[in-house]
Amino acid sequence: MLSMNNLCKVFQSADIQTHALREVNLSVNEGDFLSVTGPSGSGKTTFLNIAGLLENHSSGEFLLDGENVGALKDSARSRLRNQKIGFIFQGFNLIPDLNLYDNVDVPLRYRGFNARERKQRIHSQLERVGLASRMKHLPAQLSGGQQQRVAIARALATDPRFLLADEPTGNLDSEMAQGVMSLLEEINQQGTTIIMVTHDTELAQRASRSIQIKDGRVSEVPPLMKRVIA
Amino acid sequence: MLESGLIIRALMRNKIGALLIALQIALTMTIMVNAIFMIQDRQQQMARESGINEEDTFYLTNTIFAQDYNIQVGLQTDLNAIRKTPGVVDAIQINAIPLSGGGWSSGLQTEPGEDKDGIGTAIYMVDDHAINALDLELIAGTNFSPSDIGWRLPAQSAWPAKVIITQALANSLFPDNGQSALGKTVYISNNQPMQVIGIIKNLQAPWNGWSGVERSALVPFQMESRSGRYFIRTEPGRRDELMPVIESMLANSDKGRIIRRLSTMEETREQSYRQHNATNKILMTVVSTLTLITAFGIVGLAIFSINRRTKQIGTRRALGATRWQVMRYFMVENFFISAVGITIGIIGTVSLNYWLVNKFNMTPLGFELIALGVVTLVIVGQLAVLYPARKAALISPATATRTV
Repeated sequence: MLSMNNLCKVFQSADIQTHALREVNLSVNEGDFLSVTGPSGSGKTTFLNIAGLLENHSSGEFLLDGENVGALKDSARSRLRNQKIGFIFQGFNLIPDLNLYDNVDVPLRYRGFNARERKQRIHSQLERVGLASRMKHLPAQLSGGQQQRVAIARALATDPRFLLADEPTGNLDSEMAQGVMSLLEEINQQGTTIIMVTHDTELAQRASRSIQIKDGRVSEVPPLMKRVIA
Repeated sequence: MLESGLIIRALMRNKIGALLIALQIALTMTIMVNAIFMIQDRQQQMARESGINEEDTFYLTNTIFAQDYNIQVGLQTDLNAIRKTPGVVDAIQINAIPLSGGGWSSGLQTEPGEDKDGIGTAIYMVDDHAINALDLELIAGTNFSPSDIGWRLPAQSAWPAKVIITQALANSLFPDNGQSALGKTVYISNNQPMQVIGIIKNLQAPWNGWSGVERSALVPFQMESRSGRYFIRTEPGRRDELMPVIESMLANSDKGRIIRRLSTMEETREQSYRQHNATNKILMTVVSTLTLITAFGIVGLAIFSINRRTKQIGTRRALGATRWQVMRYFMVENFFISAVGITIGIIGTVSLNYWLVNKFNMTPLGFELIALGVVTLVIVGQLAVLYPARKAALISPATATRTV
């Protein structure tokens, strides 16, 4: 479903070239739970941005469900993000002026669903993350773990093909992090593909596949090694 | 999908900035529409025709200082000389000049008696050449004959037996049928009768701000005065050439007087409405400045709001908003702020206008001017927010994943 072939990303500023990703070759299959680890500045966020169509790669090929996304216009990329990708951010990125209901509603409106359909999806997703009773609350009235659950509900509301999670537990204490991680595992077991960037090796090991990025190069971490580390 | 509900709910949680801009829009609307209304009112006043030929006419003041001067002979000699000058169409002595700001007025009434209300009227003392010299349009009746013209002596209180009045004055004196004024007797100074022998279409009074500016009467008098005005009409296009000629001719013909204050009717109109023009310019400057300040206010608020919400905009883009949808968000948001401002502004506009109408006896402003204000401010608002909205639309969706 997601395939990167010799994909490179180079940032050009004045006379300095920074190679953020070098010849990435990677396939992500339906139902995978892929963790992405690596030291700070290794290119994890760049990888996530490219995988999530938030920015373009410099060279190579990136196929999403068989479609070469490199040549797509900005508006087509926006549509594709809305239809196929759900995002979970480290800082939750909820809109502070909107209540939980309206926050989950945002991507649904871009999708063009009618009011009834949106209402049904919002209720269903907020129930799924256990926050249906607080849908009129503002994000600031929730704990970090609850806010991340709302962000997950928002990401799932459009029925995306895969979830991209950028350090989803980075801003949470360990108890809340465990809760969010369990929720992600549950979502994955229900068939949603997940790509998760994390610093936390313990969480990374709970994924079905792991890759490591170092100096812009991607390498797959074999399952054996994962067990040894565990 | 316009996200109207989300925009309104988000605005309701950040009311202060939006409300301040809405109030600024309301104030701009109130002042703009009423200022334009006042400008229009003045322009309409300035566009009124005086009823006389203003392009080919001028006047001067003849002041006699010689002690043994025969005023009656001198006046006839002067007028004959001016009228015979090649290029001159006609000339008269006149006691006041339309639009000049200074003149005579009296009350005319249809019945004699001190207890009867008179209609305020500008009085022009002229001879039988007045209709030709002023280029007036006689729409009913006849002109004065030379034998009708009498001498108005200093301190004289008697009035001549005939009068020519404007149509507006006829309508005021005889509201049921202005044309019926012809041949009727009207009374001046409470009980002195004058027969209306003619009706002229229009002749404005000397005072442009007077509500009865269209009410004037010609009375057949020549004034025996040591200071009088001569009003001269030339052939088209020859006024400027003949002004110094006539000034010099009069000055040289008799050394017992001086000729001064030569002025054209065009200059008189310009001077008469100078304050109107200046006020209109000030009002236009105020309106333009206020509109510009409001536009800058909208730009400022939008830029502040965008800078504050950069990450939020990136998140919206990540969640699937196209550039156009981001741009539209800010334009719709601005539309709602403008709508609140304009609604308050309409109330303010009508209230201020109500006060102006009652205070200064003006006609109420029309719906079309309010509609113009609404459309103008919506357009100004949308244009002002265009640049910040475009700036917002260019925020990268990758902003959503940045931690700083």
